[in-house]
Amino acid sequence: MSEVVLAARGLRKSYQSGGLRIEVLRGVDIALGAGESVSIRGESGSGKSTLLNLLAGLDTPDGGNLSWGGEPANANRRATFLGIVFQSFYLIPEIDALANVLMAARMVKAPGAVERARAQDLIARVGLAERATHLPAQLSGGERQRVAVARALMNAPKLLLADEPTGNLDEQTGDAVVELLLGLCRETQTALVLVTHNAAYAAKTGRQLFLRDGVLNGSNSVAVSSR
Amino acid sequence: MPWYLYLACKQLFPSGRFPFFTAISVLGVTLGVAVLIIVTSVMGGFGYEIRRMIVETEGEVDVKVTGYLSDPQDVLAQISATPGVAAATPYVKGVVGVQANSRPAYPLFRGVDVGTIERVANLGRFTNPPSAIANLDDDSVVLSSQLATSLGVHVGDKIEIYSPLLIEKLKNDEVFLPREFRVVGELYIGHQQLDSSTIYGTLRAAQELYGLGRSVHGIYVRLKPDVDEHAVVARLNTTLPRATTQAYSWMESWADFLWVLNLEKSINFFLLLFIVIIAAFSVMSSLLISVVRKTREIGLLGALGARPRDVALCFCAQAFIIGLTGTAIGVGMGFGVLAIRNDLVHGIARLMQRQETLRQFYQFSDLPSHTLTSDLVMTVVASIVISTLAGLIPAWRAARLKPVEALRSE
Repeated sequence: MSEVVLAARGLRKSYQSGGLRIEVLRGVDIALGAGESVSIRGESGSGKSTLLNLLAGLDTPDGGNLSWGGEPANANRRATFLGIVFQSFYLIPEIDALANVLMAARMVKAPGAVERARAQDLIARVGLAERATHLPAQLSGGERQRVAVARALMNAPKLLLADEPTGNLDEQTGDAVVELLLGLCRETQTALVLVTHNAAYAAKTGRQLFLRDGVLNGSNSVAVSSR
Repeated sequence: MPWYLYLACKQLFPSGRFPFFTAISVLGVTLGVAVLIIVTSVMGGFGYEIRRMIVETEGEVDVKVTGYLSDPQDVLAQISATPGVAAATPYVKGVVGVQANSRPAYPLFRGVDVGTIERVANLGRFTNPPSAIANLDDDSVVLSSQLATSLGVHVGDKIEIYSPLLIEKLKNDEVFLPREFRVVGELYIGHQQLDSSTIYGTLRAAQELYGLGRSVHGIYVRLKPDVDEHAVVARLNTTLPRATTQAYSWMESWADFLWVLNLEKSINFFLLLFIVIIAAFSVMSSLLISVVRKTREIGLLGALGARPRDVALCFCAQAFIIGLTGTAIGVGMGFGVLAIRNDLVHGIARLMQRQETLRQFYQFSDLPSHTLTSDLVMTVVASIVISTLAGLIPAWRAARLKPVEALRSE
């Protein structure tokens, strides 16, 4: 069994809406080893993004445990432990593609020559070496998402969380982005959680999970940590 | 460079551009700082010019006498022997009546010792011809320029002077004719009050007009360079006879006037600071809009690992940079306007055909300017601090945003 990168046990989350309490997650268990990839599918409103936000430590669960690399999840470790790719790219419009990638490194420390070289390497690996100095507004949707992928991998995270990264892209571009994500994660032994609607993309990951009625169904090949 | 400082710079000046939002915010601070610098410098200029005129016409210290000093030579010797004193000269001064071309005037007659006055006061700098004071005799006078104009006299003309002694003589039914003086020069100092109503004559002529014999009203003292005038004044007041004489520094002699001048400057500074405060509200409003506009970006920063404190610092840094940039440009603009201030004032006067009015009623013929380092530092610090404080509320709002909610916002 490989090193456990992500382990969640009994994650619960509910929202109050118009006097009604909606239980979105009713005890989610998930575990992921290094270099593994898993897809999470589910109907709209099933709580996929909520689950991803909990796994990323961006939101607080009502109950359950979450650990990153065997240690309790902590917002202070987020910058170095995990990378996130969003459906809407969220690039900073005032800085160019390379600077957007370097922005992840800046969260940890002022970038030096090593970080700059890595950012340039990542930009080249996502096929945008020629467009490194272009602003996000000068890039297409697919190119922006590739920049977002490079940014997510900038700090060599152990875990990459991708929330419907192809949602705003056409099929052909979406295919390319998913291939890129999977390829880079395989290459860098980064664990990947891919939230998607697309069954074909889900099939490309090592495991396919389905979120229904607030619980995950599917195979968990790595045992959930006892922590 | 920390990321929040880097991003603050990039958001304000993306790719070297100067976006409208930044330009408006910076412009507000710039105008406030420029106006503050111009006003405090001009007010400082008034003070500086007054000091220059007082010191150059009266010396740094004025030894005033209760009544009159009947034997000035002893006191003069005592003053001259005091450490720090470079020179001393006696004077007689008082209001007289003047008549020429059937035009009357009531200026101040300053009787000076021609032999020693130039050691204390640099009057030759202000007279035409420059040697006019040095060449004075008991029958000649130098008139201030506006007085000469109002009386319609020129160099070489004659004027009649009536002294208060005339009134005393009339009371005793004595006949006392006015004294006739020849005008040998004109004095132009640049101060409306001095230029409009001053006559310089010899000490003997003044003593005669006031019936003082050999007595004098006081002694002007010039100090050696870089000597503390307050220390010399204190020294003089311990050595001179306290009952009849009292030494005053030029600042003490003009204390009320200088206090009013300083008060005016402080009030102006306080009132004009409101321009910077209003500009700060503009900065705050722009940054608050920025927080709303960039809500999802703020969420992204949180997702990338930014701490709320650093997000707040990013917006505070933007306010600081706006304040710093606006202040730097404002200082440049303020000094730029000060450099061409006289061209501007005279241009406006020319445009309105009011050059003569300006000359007659304005305190100085040129707009003075003197920037005190303390005023400059106060302006710069106040504007930067106020601008930075304007970033606190936007920073607080940005720091309170939860990444997950910010990312979901539309």
